[in-house]
Amino acid sequence: MMSLSETIWAVVKILIMVGFLFNVGGLLTWLDRRQSAMIQDRIGPNRAVIKVFGIEFRLGGLLHPLADGVKFFFKEDFIPPRGDKLLFAVAPILVMAPVLALIAVIPFGDKLCVDDLWRTTDTGSLLFPAVPRYGSCLIPVARGGIAAIDLQVASLNVGILYVFALAGQGIVGAALAGWSSDNKFSLLGALRAASQMVSYEVTIGMSLVGALMIYGSVRMGDMVRWQGDHAWGIFIQPLAFFMFFMAAVAESKRIPFDLPEAESELVSGYFTEYSGMKFGMFYFAEYMEVVTSSMLLVTIFLGGWQLPFLHRDGLTIDIGTWRALQLPMNHLTVTAIQVCTFFGKVLFLCWIQCFVRWSLPRFRYDQLMKLCWRILLPLSLANILVTGVVYLLLDHAGPVLGNTLQMIGDLTQAVVAIAITYFVLSIVIGLIRPTRRTSWVVGSTAKLAQRFGGTPRSPRMQA
Amino acid sequence: MNVIGSLYFYVCAAVAIAGAIATVTARNPIRGAVSLLVMVVSIAGLFLALSAEFLAAIQLIVYAGAIVVLFLFVIMILGESSSSVHDKKRIVSRTLAAALLGAVSLGAIVLVVGVSTPLQAPRIRAGFGGIDAIGRALFSDWVVPFELSSALLMVAVLGAVAIAKGDIKRPLESAATTPGSASEEQP
Repeated sequence: MMSLSETIWAVVKILIMVGFLFNVGGLLTWLDRRQSAMIQDRIGPNRAVIKVFGIEFRLGGLLHPLADGVKFFFKEDFIPPRGDKLLFAVAPILVMAPVLALIAVIPFGDKLCVDDLWRTTDTGSLLFPAVPRYGSCLIPVARGGIAAIDLQVASLNVGILYVFALAGQGIVGAALAGWSSDNKFSLLGALRAASQMVSYEVTIGMSLVGALMIYGSVRMGDMVRWQGDHAWGIFIQPLAFFMFFMAAVAESKRIPFDLPEAESELVSGYFTEYSGMKFGMFYFAEYMEVVTSSMLLVTIFLGGWQLPFLHRDGLTIDIGTWRALQLPMNHLTVTAIQVCTFFGKVLFLCWIQCFVRWSLPRFRYDQLMKLCWRILLPLSLANILVTGVVYLLLDHAGPVLGNTLQMIGDLTQAVVAIAITYFVLSIVIGLIRPTRRTSWVVGSTAKLAQRFGGTPRSPRMQA
Repeated sequence: MNVIGSLYFYVCAAVAIAGAIATVTARNPIRGAVSLLVMVVSIAGLFLALSAEFLAAIQLIVYAGAIVVLFLFVIMILGESSSSVHDKKRIVSRTLAAALLGAVSLGAIVLVVGVSTPLQAPRIRAGFGGIDAIGRALFSDWVVPFELSSALLMVAVLGAVAIAKGDIKRPLESAATTPGSASEEQP
């Protein structure tokens, strides 16, 4: 049975993950609108207003998701009279539940030693100890310490297979939604969704096999630790990263793979007949899928909670056998940095996915299927073969090659460190630098032209 | 087995049986497929309790994720009308056959349970049923049967492709190559 502290920690972990998923999922609906406005040179959402004592708050369009929620709750819950009422109600649950359950196996931090976070000395002052890089906490369980806590809701033996098992359940939800709506457009959308997701699920599984062979584990935590010690997955399996990324976007049925809900052809695809909060669940599940697929990408290919050179015992810069810097840090700081790193990486990938969405046009259906079965699947199989052969060769090679590989791995970490520093610095500089204010001319194009000195065709307006 | 364990077993088993009954009795084929899904998921739950996590995951991936989806797909494409055949013919002979089969199966189960001595299960090691143990067993101890069964699956796949390919007619291409047939269609 679980002790009280274990139960509390389990609840805390669930709250962190679910809270992040819900909030970022909601924020992504806003980000999507802002992003599209930015890319299409529009102003974007700014109509939702809260008036407090005559002062209008628009919050850059952040009130729109709130207004959406209110609308979902108060809209009529329409059920097609000739549809299957039970399955119609079950379908949104079947779409939503796997996405929620999927985050259980994603680790958002290294093993946490609660006793080592801080302790009070005899004089009453606080002490922040550091823990060793490998191994357990300073106070072992046998001497009254609390066992190290995995910052992961459920550390499952089957790890990544759990993800695949859940990903398959979403298909059933989409198919049932389309069928139970008693609508030809919905049915076509459901058929498209089912065939697309079944196809791309094969690619998702196959593209990861190479990475799993190298990591030597299907547990997510082990994968992240391996990447911290050697090199990030994106450098070891670059092809697999891009294939998995594509397949993940296709699984979440977003542009450019949004054939199942193609507006110009199928109204809204398999959820055409849904309204109110049931529609809201489909809508929201899509954004949460963006978050979960970003989490998977970060965990498997982008080092999870790892920052380059930041280990459990502090900052240690090793290039090969040359130690450039060693700076011990306490457990509390390291853990806080690592957790923030994980969520920061996830947010970055979510942003990339939104950017992709507004940059690419929709595929044709035969192109979609060709991309999966004729390009991605053979490539992923070849990737498995090449990875296996190279792995076998390296395994039989001498220690010299091993050292060289470790050196190259450290260099990739250095590259990542420089890239992250550059990225953060450019964000800070971009925020500090004074922006050039552009004045908006509200009115007709003619007024705008007049403001900017007229056009060659209308010289009279220059006066 | 403690209380929670046996409660978990009975809930999963009851849901599995209910799902199985609903699968065969559902008038609507889509509902039948969904009941099958319920049964498959609860059997995966039973596997979990038997420390066979790998098998549970595979059960969900293969049966729930692929086979039930395939059923749904076929039913949705063919439509409800073509598959909901509730003919009342030979109802007596069918009922008799079902009763006979059920009685024989029940008798076999009773015989096996009554005659055989309780199974002396060997002590399971740590990691039993995990991905490591199953991988080791499949690829070292039982590699020949494993490869044979994969060859069998390959034959089945090739056979399916061969059978499906025989039926493909290309009306557009044949119409383009033989102009005579195209003109016949427009009297």
